[in-house]
Amino acid sequence: MTAFAKVFSKMIEIGARQKAEAAEYYTHVEGVGPVPRDIYKHVKSDPLGDLPRYSPHIVIQHFLVFITFIFLAATGLPIYFSDQFWAQYFVSLFGGIDVARRIHRICAFIMMFAAAYHIITIVGGTLRKIRHHEFDYKRTQLPRLKDLFDLIHDIKYFLGRAPYRPKMEKFMYKQKAHYLAIIWGNFVLIAAGSALLFPDVMAKLFPETLGKIIPLGGAGVESYSAFFQDLARLMHADEAVMALILLAFWHWTNVHVVPGRFPIQWAFLTGKITREHQIEEHFLEYLHNLREIPEEREYMKNLLKELGIDGSKAVSAVDPNGSLAQEADPAAGEKA
Amino acid sequence: MKPESAIKAPGLKMSNFFKNKSIYIFPAILVAVISMLLLSRPSAEAADEYNCLLCHKHRKMGRIDQNGKRWNYNVDEILYNHSVHRSVECPDCHTYITKIPHDPVTQKVNCGNQCHIKPPFAQKDFSHDKIIDIYNHSAHGIRPEDSEALKNAKPYCKYCHLNPIYIPLYEEPGIYKQTLQRCFNCHPQRGVIQAYRHITHRLRKKTSRSPQEIVHICATCHKNEELMKKLHLSEIGVTAVKTYYQSIHGKLVQLGSHKAADCISCHASNALHDIYKKENPRATIYKDNIEKTCHQCHKETSSYFIKIAVHPSEEHSENPIIYLVSIFFRVVLYAAVLSMVGHMLFETFGRRKHGIRFFFRDGTSWRKRSRRRSKKEKKQAE
Repeated sequence: MTAFAKVFSKMIEIGARQKAEAAEYYTHVEGVGPVPRDIYKHVKSDPLGDLPRYSPHIVIQHFLVFITFIFLAATGLPIYFSDQFWAQYFVSLFGGIDVARRIHRICAFIMMFAAAYHIITIVGGTLRKIRHHEFDYKRTQLPRLKDLFDLIHDIKYFLGRAPYRPKMEKFMYKQKAHYLAIIWGNFVLIAAGSALLFPDVMAKLFPETLGKIIPLGGAGVESYSAFFQDLARLMHADEAVMALILLAFWHWTNVHVVPGRFPIQWAFLTGKITREHQIEEHFLEYLHNLREIPEEREYMKNLLKELGIDGSKAVSAVDPNGSLAQEADPAAGEKA
Repeated sequence: MKPESAIKAPGLKMSNFFKNKSIYIFPAILVAVISMLLLSRPSAEAADEYNCLLCHKHRKMGRIDQNGKRWNYNVDEILYNHSVHRSVECPDCHTYITKIPHDPVTQKVNCGNQCHIKPPFAQKDFSHDKIIDIYNHSAHGIRPEDSEALKNAKPYCKYCHLNPIYIPLYEEPGIYKQTLQRCFNCHPQRGVIQAYRHITHRLRKKTSRSPQEIVHICATCHKNEELMKKLHLSEIGVTAVKTYYQSIHGKLVQLGSHKAADCISCHASNALHDIYKKENPRATIYKDNIEKTCHQCHKETSSYFIKIAVHPSEEHSENPIIYLVSIFFRVVLYAAVLSMVGHMLFETFGRRKHGIRFFFRDGTSWRKRSRRRSKKEKKQAE
């Protein structure tokens, strides 16, 4: 009971500290000075990206998945909606259903290769970081409790109840959710897809192994194969349609259409993120950038000097509700 | 003599002759036309010894009977000459016609007739009676104990076999040995292999029709669920066409594949007309025969594999777990899409209010004054 109370009080303490950290307007960075939370309104950004975000490996993997997904959807959808009038035309684009099926399989194998490549990249990179004592789980895709708090904080910000967005790491809650969804989707699509491609092998594999684990006896075990084939047929299609809808209506819009990213965000090709985007959505990662990249440190130092913010002012001018734009930047009014 | 003038002179050298292309266009056209005339197929000669086409060639040949139904007695000569029966004379099938002009026809053609065509290596005239015998024993054969409705609903030869849909085929070599049974259905066994190996594409595939045609023919009756229910088919038999189109076989056939299984592929052996109910031990889908039937295409069959549903159903009553999973997926789909797209719209609204613009240019997209009001301003407004 006391242990439980201890954990509980610790959680409250962490929560309170996080809340206080999130509300702090200035963040002091060594060698730069106090960085205000809304500095993203004053930085200059290159549309092609300023700060590193994805390694070339990740860019290649994304590109592979991007291309194969389009082909997989184009060849898979007419099979699922085979009774629709447009299915015939879609299929004839690829030279008939027999060719389209083959393209679907080839693309699936390329996508699986990309997934394997990604796992190797991630595991290898993590091992390297651990060896160099640089590994920080906060900068990875691992979900944390903070992500939930960040979501709540963000919704408050959208409602106008919080002055600024939460200070988030390299991957925010949205991206973590998406990443987990991709892992789950890949697992389902690969498992169900191979059950559809090799029904004979899967029929042998599932009931025999499963029959040993969960003995039903007699005919029950054999009907497992029918059940799993039905399940695979259903899950492959439903998962794929869900992925397609989410990518078309959420991912693409979210990445290229929302304010500040329109008409196109180049990160998927250049692997770089713009400065204002990094500071707004990934503030804690930006602080890492300031520590790691000397040029960025120099840029920020000069910008703060230009805006008239120095260490002595930072102590007196903490105003969570006030905006830097009203106090220190006369140019902002002209721009607007 | 300068060398240039020698080149410019319009000599009669062979090399110059071939450079001037317009010279040999005419002979080329001549050769092409002649070869076309030589290679073009002469029209097949009609087996019209009895001069039936004298009347039946006319387009408008026909009558309207007492019930107002229109009958067309026109015979398209070209179509008939390209049909399987092109060498069979009219009276061989229409045996009841003995004089011209003939009396009103009341009888129907019997496909079991012997026509005056002798197959190679055979002593007897040709007849379809062997296959009719197989057919009469199958589930489609008419039996004395059948009800009147069932008797009327059962199809006969002409119901499925109409000459006008005789079309060229997609060919796949190498499987004719199994399909030789198709010949034995009608022809005596001796000498068939030698005679037919090289002359007919029908040996290469189980059916001479495309899977689309087969499914179409069977579906003309079987997709009518009310009729099938009336004729007391099993539950899976009533919805067979609908569930077939939900399976991967049906989907592929619908999209134009020639490789996927059609009705005949599973429900008949190479004798083609021996379709039985699955309780009958002679049926290809009888529980002991299914593995062999699946093995025609799926090389690794097992007792587990044959349990997979070929006519899958997502109905609640038949497959409750699958039904629940599909409901779950639908809920997840709507929840994910609505919440994520909603979050995105919400985010756009909030950030726009804080001063961001859609277009990214001038090195920043925060080009607008924030329309948010601080607590002080709110208090002042009150």
